[in-house]
Amino acid sequence: MTPLTRNESHNTASKVRYSKEPYLVVNIVFAGIILLIMLYSGIFSPEKDNYPVTCIHSEITGEPCVSCGLSHSFSLIIRGRINEAYIWNIYGMRVFLFFCSQLFMRIIFSILYIRYPATRKQLIILDIAGSSVIFLISFWHFFAYLLKFS
Amino acid sequence: MNNNIKFQNMEETKNNTGQNLGIAALITAIITFVLAVIPCVGLIAIIPGIIAIVLASVGLSNAARNDSPRGVLLAGLIIAIVASLISFSQVFVAGKIAEKADKWPNRIEEIITDVQEDVLKDLEDANISIKIENGDEKIEINADANKKNREETLEELEGQDTGVNDSVDKK
Repeated sequence: MTPLTRNESHNTASKVRYSKEPYLVVNIVFAGIILLIMLYSGIFSPEKDNYPVTCIHSEITGEPCVSCGLSHSFSLIIRGRINEAYIWNIYGMRVFLFFCSQLFMRIIFSILYIRYPATRKQLIILDIAGSSVIFLISFWHFFAYLLKFS
Repeated sequence: MNNNIKFQNMEETKNNTGQNLGIAALITAIITFVLAVIPCVGLIAIIPGIIAIVLASVGLSNAARNDSPRGVLLAGLIIAIVASLISFSQVFVAGKIAEKADKWPNRIEEIITDVQEDVLKDLEDANISIKIENGDEKIEINADANKKNREETLEELEGQDTGVNDSVDKK
């Protein structure tokens, strides 16, 4: 068995250290989930209308809800058909931009977290605050819809 | 010496388990929160919400025993509870919409009756013209549906003395 060189042992140690950082794990998982959402939008096409997720809300009430057509809208945005996406769901673009911004933020904040260990606490606070504001702006109409009926 | 290392490893494993549970709870809770806000899938979000609450609770009880950090676990628990409440509120929202949807047919009937009345009112003052052509023969009927005119005509006719006694004999 050959002994590890200094560089190799440093890499192994840093890998172990990063895998123990909850913030990095959360970021990686969320980036993966967002990529899966984009993959879902890319695989299922609006022409075939083969989406596995149906609106439970409209099945119960018999009326379309504010988020109906979101999957179609996402698929159309991914295919570059923005005008049609707006027809399917007017808020689709907003929600899609939220997921894009989150993917971007997960990558950027993870890099900053590794590069600047001294500012980790501030970075996490900034991330939580920023993400919350973007979430509220993107999903505001869904909140308003819930508040209207509750 | 060996026992010490073993004890340290066991402690690390316990702390890791608590931390892993915290991470899992936090991720599940945030996913639940996003799902709960979307009306189409909001009701389903109760399931991951409950899972997140269970994970966070187990993690917290472990953390309390081992004296390990609880920040992530608490964050996960709070977000999971809020998300589950939002998800549960979707039941009431759906109920209210269904209730309103039941009232809509009555409202539609009312609107149709209103429209019918408006059309009949408009027709009261309408002029009707019917033309029938058959080769060289041509018949044209013009009728004035004006209610006021008809009432005036009726009054005129009633005022005229026709010389015929059309009243019913009172015996």
